[in-house]
Amino acid sequence: MKQIALYGKGGIGKSTTSANLSAALSLAGHDILQIGCDPKRDSTRMLMAGRLIPTVMDQVRERGAAGVTPADVVYTGFNGVRCVEAGGPEPGVGCAGRGIIATFQLLEKFGTLTGDVIVYDVLGDVVCGGFAMPMREGYAQEVYLVTSGELMSLYAANNICKAIERLSARPKSRCRLAGVICNAKSQPKEEELVAEFARRVNSHLVQFIPRDRVVQLAELNRKTVIEYEPASAQAQVYRDLATRVMENTRLTIPSPLEIDDLEALAIEFM
Amino acid sequence: MTTHVRDAITVVHGPQGCTHHNFSLLHATNLDNDRVSLPPLVSTGLSETDVIFGGEGALDRTLDEVIARDPAAVFVLSTCIVETIGDDVGMVCGTKAGVPVIVVPTAGFLGGSFQSGVNNALVALAGMAGPAEGNGRVNIIGEKNLEYEVEENFTEVSRLLALLGLSVNIRFVRDLATDRIASLASARLNVLRDPSLIPVGDFLQERFGTPYIPAYPVGISGTVAFLESVAGACGIDCHRAVEEERALRQETLDDFADLAGAGVSFTPLPPDPEGNRAAQDLVEALRLDVTPSGRPVPVPVTPPIGITGVRRLLHRWRRALHA
Repeated sequence: MKQIALYGKGGIGKSTTSANLSAALSLAGHDILQIGCDPKRDSTRMLMAGRLIPTVMDQVRERGAAGVTPADVVYTGFNGVRCVEAGGPEPGVGCAGRGIIATFQLLEKFGTLTGDVIVYDVLGDVVCGGFAMPMREGYAQEVYLVTSGELMSLYAANNICKAIERLSARPKSRCRLAGVICNAKSQPKEEELVAEFARRVNSHLVQFIPRDRVVQLAELNRKTVIEYEPASAQAQVYRDLATRVMENTRLTIPSPLEIDDLEALAIEFM
Repeated sequence: MTTHVRDAITVVHGPQGCTHHNFSLLHATNLDNDRVSLPPLVSTGLSETDVIFGGEGALDRTLDEVIARDPAAVFVLSTCIVETIGDDVGMVCGTKAGVPVIVVPTAGFLGGSFQSGVNNALVALAGMAGPAEGNGRVNIIGEKNLEYEVEENFTEVSRLLALLGLSVNIRFVRDLATDRIASLASARLNVLRDPSLIPVGDFLQERFGTPYIPAYPVGISGTVAFLESVAGACGIDCHRAVEEERALRQETLDDFADLAGAGVSFTPLPPDPEGNRAAQDLVEALRLDVTPSGRPVPVPVTPPIGITGVRRLLHRWRRALHA
């Protein structure tokens, strides 16, 4: 069973990438489970025909932990992809990190964490211990960073490298950086910049995803590009990503950059 | 519970107050039982900075300091705050070699009561034991170490076991050495302090096949039933023991015959059905008269254990009636 996590700055296109990746992997014949680990709870929406599925944390709050069953939290969407949303508190209250931990414990108890590939879609600002849960022992062994060429998203990706580096240092830890995915903003030389960034943090660019209007169109129709326009060039990009993810063996411990080096890199490609 | 494994050290991963509170409680209740002891309890002393930046470093450092003192084992208990901030306690403990480091999750906000914490600790400690050759003895499981009459109650149960020719294997957990935990599975029978420990009894039965008696004998009528249960579980003939015990019971009632017919009232009423029943049994056996205007007699917080427990209670009633 392969377990991968996608981390990246908020708004960079992680959920779009995850959902399309899950759809492509599913069509390739794999049994997929996608788990949204963001209190925004919208990771799996495009796999569920636009529906915001009930979150694990909301169910626990309403029924009590003992009253929740797997059927309350696991929903089947496009092509049989199973979907779970962890959920969590509204902005400004409570502790979302603890919500992620609680979600994982519940899913373990249910025996839900099965399949050919589990895709964890995790929010970009890994601001506390709880959001590192998917990288703990027994869960995601391969982390993909989703970034554009913008400095701020590279900065966030670089920060996540620090978390991965620290977690990888633990004995018995099998969590590694698997690669960088560039979700383009259509800057000039964006692909080269992100590829170079990936190289400098001791990884590699796994896929360049061009900006394409069909992504927005698919979203407005509440579908992944894979479902909405399967013959499009963009759909093929996601299928290529899926193939590369399944074949990827380049798993490394990242070497995060200093902010000065990051800025210097960005200037190089201006 | 874990501090009663005397040659081990218990680490509470959290702010100082969590440890201090427990240290004081254990120290004070030990004094009640005339023993001066400093429980082997250490805090990771989390500060605000540790809470904000993560507490795993503090736990790691504390474990290294504690392990340098060469304990037989280390028990690590978690607190509310470390479970909230997401410290991976299990992972940090797993990095230590050379001494068993056992994690017992004890964060209060994750549910459960005082007793479930005790049960979790017992199960975690029992996890250190493997299969062992039988020695025909009996384990005492889940003594209430904070109870005022903990030793008197143990003595009474030992007395009853001895009537059947049985001896005690280990007290799990009271004043225990780490290496004695290995003999947990050697016992032919486990006696639980009370039914709240049944989850632990079930765990031990499942893991080692050891049957259990779910409670200490309560009240004036409990000891005979206890002897019969134990004998039945062990395949021992208990006729002579039961006869002796019945004689002791009668002797006790004779000793306190001067209380017969007295008017008594219970203030407060026994807090639990078990205690209530035990008090009722005594009332009937001594032919006391319970009336609102009767002399108030004290009711113990926990029901009296065995004949000796009843005798202690009746002494207090006699003092109250003659006051």
